[in-house]
Amino acid sequence: MATARTGGLKRYYDVNGWLFIAPSILLIGIFLIYPIFRSLYLSAFTGKGMMLKFGGFANIVRLWNDPVFLHALSNTIIFFVVQVPIMIVLALLLASVLNNDRLKFIGFFRTAIFLPCVASLVAYSVLFKSMFAADGVVNSALMAIGLASGPIGWLTEPFWAKVLVILAITWRWTGYNMIFYLAALQNIDRSIYEAARIDGVPAWARFIYITIPMLKPVILFTTIISTIGTIQLFDEVYNLTEGRGSPANSTLTLSLYIYNVTFRYMPSYGYAATMSYVIVLMVALLSFLQFYAARDRS
Amino acid sequence: MANRTILSRFAAAALAGASIFAASAAFAGEVTIWCWDPNFNVAIMKEAGARYTAKHPGTTFNVVDFAKTDVEQKLQTALSSGTTDALPDIVLIEDYGAQKYLQSFPGAFAEMSGKIDYSGFAPYKVQLMTVDGKVYGMPFDSGVTGLYYRKDYLEQAGFKPEDMQNITWDRFIEIGKAIEAKTGKKMMGLDVNDAGFIRILMQSAGGWYFDKDGNLSIEGNPALKAALETEQKILQAGIYKPAAGWTEWVSAFTSGDAATVTTGVWITGTVKAQADQSGKWGVAPIPKLNIEGASHASNLGGSSWYVMESSAEKDEAIDFLNEVYAKDSDFYQKILVDQGAVGSLLSARSGPAYSKSDEFFGGEPVWQNFSDWLAKVPSVNYGIFTNEVDTAVTAHLPDLAKGANVDEVLKKIQSQAEGQIQ
Repeated sequence: MATARTGGLKRYYDVNGWLFIAPSILLIGIFLIYPIFRSLYLSAFTGKGMMLKFGGFANIVRLWNDPVFLHALSNTIIFFVVQVPIMIVLALLLASVLNNDRLKFIGFFRTAIFLPCVASLVAYSVLFKSMFAADGVVNSALMAIGLASGPIGWLTEPFWAKVLVILAITWRWTGYNMIFYLAALQNIDRSIYEAARIDGVPAWARFIYITIPMLKPVILFTTIISTIGTIQLFDEVYNLTEGRGSPANSTLTLSLYIYNVTFRYMPSYGYAATMSYVIVLMVALLSFLQFYAARDRS
Repeated sequence: MANRTILSRFAAAALAGASIFAASAAFAGEVTIWCWDPNFNVAIMKEAGARYTAKHPGTTFNVVDFAKTDVEQKLQTALSSGTTDALPDIVLIEDYGAQKYLQSFPGAFAEMSGKIDYSGFAPYKVQLMTVDGKVYGMPFDSGVTGLYYRKDYLEQAGFKPEDMQNITWDRFIEIGKAIEAKTGKKMMGLDVNDAGFIRILMQSAGGWYFDKDGNLSIEGNPALKAALETEQKILQAGIYKPAAGWTEWVSAFTSGDAATVTTGVWITGTVKAQADQSGKWGVAPIPKLNIEGASHASNLGGSSWYVMESSAEKDEAIDFLNEVYAKDSDFYQKILVDQGAVGSLLSARSGPAYSKSDEFFGGEPVWQNFSDWLAKVPSVNYGIFTNEVDTAVTAHLPDLAKGANVDEVLKKIQSQAEGQIQ
């Protein structure tokens, strides 16, 4: 049918098609495209609040002289480098375990591991905060089983605060990634595994040489989603530290710093816009690298 | 004598405000107010509104309750976008942020000098809302500080309430060690991620992160240096219970784990909420730093009311604030008793509620004491970058705990602050 379409009919379909998507194009234009260009324009301005004046590249220069920005950047990179691989590997392992139909209570486990990512962000942060307080249940448990000699300063010592943030986001998002892997695993033809088993390939080798290559597109997808999520990390640190990125800025992320520069500190909209573009560039670059690394070489 | 002062103030203000009174008959609008804390600001503003409506039936009040960060965020967003429709008529702003809003959004707030007699308010409060000699805003509650302490713990360690009066921080640490040795209780709760304690110490010696002209003053600031040294001594003496965030800090003293709390007067309601601890608490002036110009009076927090220039009910809003907050001494007695709010209108101090003793504090005239200290709070310039420098200070508190050299820390704070404030 479509190939047989000619002249007037084709134009009829074209016009109608455009009319149908016109409202969404208009809305996307106003609320997405325009802000993108507007913020790029804004990033060239400096000044306090509404007292803006054109500054050219002043904000970019300011980035390199701002120790807090560099600190937030390095924190964000640490979270990304440490947390994303841990989470991806964990999700992959859990998915392959939960793909085994002979496991009992499989529905319960699948739900339990997925459940954290539908929990309210604020609720779980508050819960983590009380669990990891100096005299909270986690410290009590660690001390009771002899793993810690005194209370660990989860929220008061820079190193442990980073560990806590990593624990929190891993807890929340591992199940989310696992669901993608589970779905993908069920699409792998069972006969491949059967053939491998008959050939005497051990379980670990089946995982490395069959499962992982078959899941490559999904792994790429989850890695990019997790990368974007980690680089934009905001809610967890905001709620765990009352917006301060404490202690000693050890959990301050780029997003939290942008928020502070916009709403908590002297408003510096141009500078905040410039920093937002740093996030855009980082996400673009990392996604490109991941696509490049996962490309088909055949 | 005191009554006569009030009368003469009333007369002066009445003359000054005669033109407004003439216009007030025509008022008939709804005044929208944004503020936070339902048990404190919201309740107080509802009381104030009720008083005004009783005399001016045409005016009604719509007090909207948000979280403090939401008020600030909504205000800042609306001001930047230029959509004045989204703004209230009156908004509550915390003192530390006042200059930031006044200077970065010029013309957004209504000037009130000439319409309100500011001479009756604590001078430091008025200075916070002054830009280029023009005064914006109505001074509201004070964050005058006190040292709340547990008499029973002191007694167990062999001290008397007199031992807490007019002491130095070094003595405070000594007492803290003795109390811990005898009772096992910590001397205080300390939020190691918060610079509030540093700010109390610094302002008690007349210092701030900025000099009188608003220039950054970190290195070579004796008050800040003494404050950091004192915090370091406390951290190293280990006489504190570490807290992460507000809730943990509050529970340090409400649960009975800490023997004292040094903070703003607005904490009184929280302290008194522990009814079973009635009679066990006392209040002393805060300890003093060992430097020139140090005092026993300081401030933490506190906020004021601001009228938006764009408001359709601008004159009405100013008249309302003037009539209740600048003149109604009886109103201040009521909010003191009901909410524990110490206003910054000095003449209200001579009212009956202020001279009452408080059974919770063993019959001490705590309100009279607080208002005496209020008049002694050193006036400083909070500047426009307090939040930024605060972050720089908290970033280096862990170093202090590990024994870092205070001069080195000051240098680091200076360089971090310089990178942020431009």
